[in-house]
Amino acid sequence: MLNNRNLKFSTVDIAVIIVIIAAIALFFSRMNTILEYRWQWETIPSYFFFLDAETGNLKANIFVKGFIVTVKLSIWSTFIGFFLGTISGVMGARGSFEQRIISRIYVETIRNIPSLVLVIIFYYFVSSQFLDLLRLDSCLRNSSEGIQQITRFLFAGPEEINAFISAVIALGLYEGAYVSEIVRGGIISISRGQWEASFSIGLSKTKTFLLVILPQTFRKVAFPLAGQFISTIKDSAIVSVISIQELTFQSMELMAATFLTFEIWTTVTILYFILTFTVSNLVAFLEKKYALR
Amino acid sequence: MKKILCLSLILLLSSGMMVCSAQESMIEKVQKQGVIRVGMSTFVPWAMKDKKGSLTGFEIDVAKKLAGDMGVEVEFVPTAWSGIIPALLTGKFDIIIGGMGITPKRNLKVNFTIPYDYSGMSMVAHKVKAEGFSSLKDFNDKNVTIAVRMGTTAEQAARKYMPEAKLKLFENESQALAELNLGRVHAVVSSAPMPLFHALKYPEKLFVPIKENFTKEPIGFAIKKSDHDALNFLNNWILNMHASGFLKEKKAYWFESNEWESFVK
Repeated sequence: MLNNRNLKFSTVDIAVIIVIIAAIALFFSRMNTILEYRWQWETIPSYFFFLDAETGNLKANIFVKGFIVTVKLSIWSTFIGFFLGTISGVMGARGSFEQRIISRIYVETIRNIPSLVLVIIFYYFVSSQFLDLLRLDSCLRNSSEGIQQITRFLFAGPEEINAFISAVIALGLYEGAYVSEIVRGGIISISRGQWEASFSIGLSKTKTFLLVILPQTFRKVAFPLAGQFISTIKDSAIVSVISIQELTFQSMELMAATFLTFEIWTTVTILYFILTFTVSNLVAFLEKKYALR
Repeated sequence: MKKILCLSLILLLSSGMMVCSAQESMIEKVQKQGVIRVGMSTFVPWAMKDKKGSLTGFEIDVAKKLAGDMGVEVEFVPTAWSGIIPALLTGKFDIIIGGMGITPKRNLKVNFTIPYDYSGMSMVAHKVKAEGFSSLKDFNDKNVTIAVRMGTTAEQAARKYMPEAKLKLFENESQALAELNLGRVHAVVSSAPMPLFHALKYPEKLFVPIKENFTKEPIGFAIKKSDHDALNFLNNWILNMHASGFLKEKKAYWFESNEWESFVK
């Protein structure tokens, strides 16, 4: 870490810092003089929270709502991705020939199509055929206020539930393929000696796998998986194409209404950065604390 | 390129989906569920989010009135404009009330009501890049680039009236306008009155080259095909609203005044 070392600035470092500052200054001066962009930052805070004149309370506005949807999307699709990925990864590493084929087909199909195309196919084709038949939205609309509140908190309101679930499943499928490769690699990386040692003390094949190999695998893959979670957060912006009310879509709608293009994109960049930077620092902290030695 | 690929994919998939129809009328379904789901997209001042994050605009007022007259709740489904027809066909919402121009091409895929409003195309141009341009002929040139929102009637109008000019397509109007402000395109074509409002905001940089709107297009609600009950209901509702002056009054508020601007920004 930085504070363990003596910080010394060489002339090269100073030159680099000066160049960076100059570049940023140039960018803003160009913005202001040549492009004559009129910055209007003063309205941006009101898109986070606004004061409700009727009740006098602060209420969450577009950015906060979109941010929460992004977080919910990321968490649920990560759950699905980890679940699918673990099954597929175990099948790919230890399964029978047929199971390995299934796992490979899943991984290769998903990894070789753009996530954007997958999300669109899923939304217009799969979810229209299956999800809409379940009539989840009308079920939810007829259910009690309490249930509606809980689903709104965990997933989405009845107006968006179908779109939200198809987005979560599509993202989960997509992330699952990458998780599968991480898990498969983790299992394969455990040395043969571990298997042989377990057999020699009389453990069955299943017991060896569950009690000896899997826990070691888990420690090995935990941090790559955390990295996958971070990339899920970033990938979640893709579902804006199917009009999920997450951060990117909400901001694009806001831009269409207010034309504050640069202010809003800057704010969105910072929000995504805060989210992923926090998670990656948390992961780095845990990695240091619990790393294999 | 990616977007075009996706669009054609959507159309392909959704056309396959239309086979399984033969359902009850939208009107009955809406009344049974007690809620009408309205597909729309942000277009100033047709529909936009206000300062409090709730939707407001001409279309929003119309949709709320329609729902009120049907005795049901209204639920808005903001949708990317380029995918709004496939979303209607696949049942993501019941009706499009989003300032959709009635065009033969769209009409092949959906049913339109009689017009409840008319809009026209207008243009805002860059003062330096489009210096001295004053007619559509000036813009109809190989060296001219025009930015429009993808899939809109503005795109069709630009193709029709300025076939020589290069087009740049964007998902949102704000992106097209940002391109114009950067001076990368000569002009932006869009439904009136937005181009005029934008020119007024940057008077030293932008101007409106053609004072009159150069098209006039009817605007209707769009619903799924072969639902004649719903079409009959909606057509008569629109006739009533014309007669009662509701539409005229709302049009005056949203398009001829700018009182509403303080609620939005």
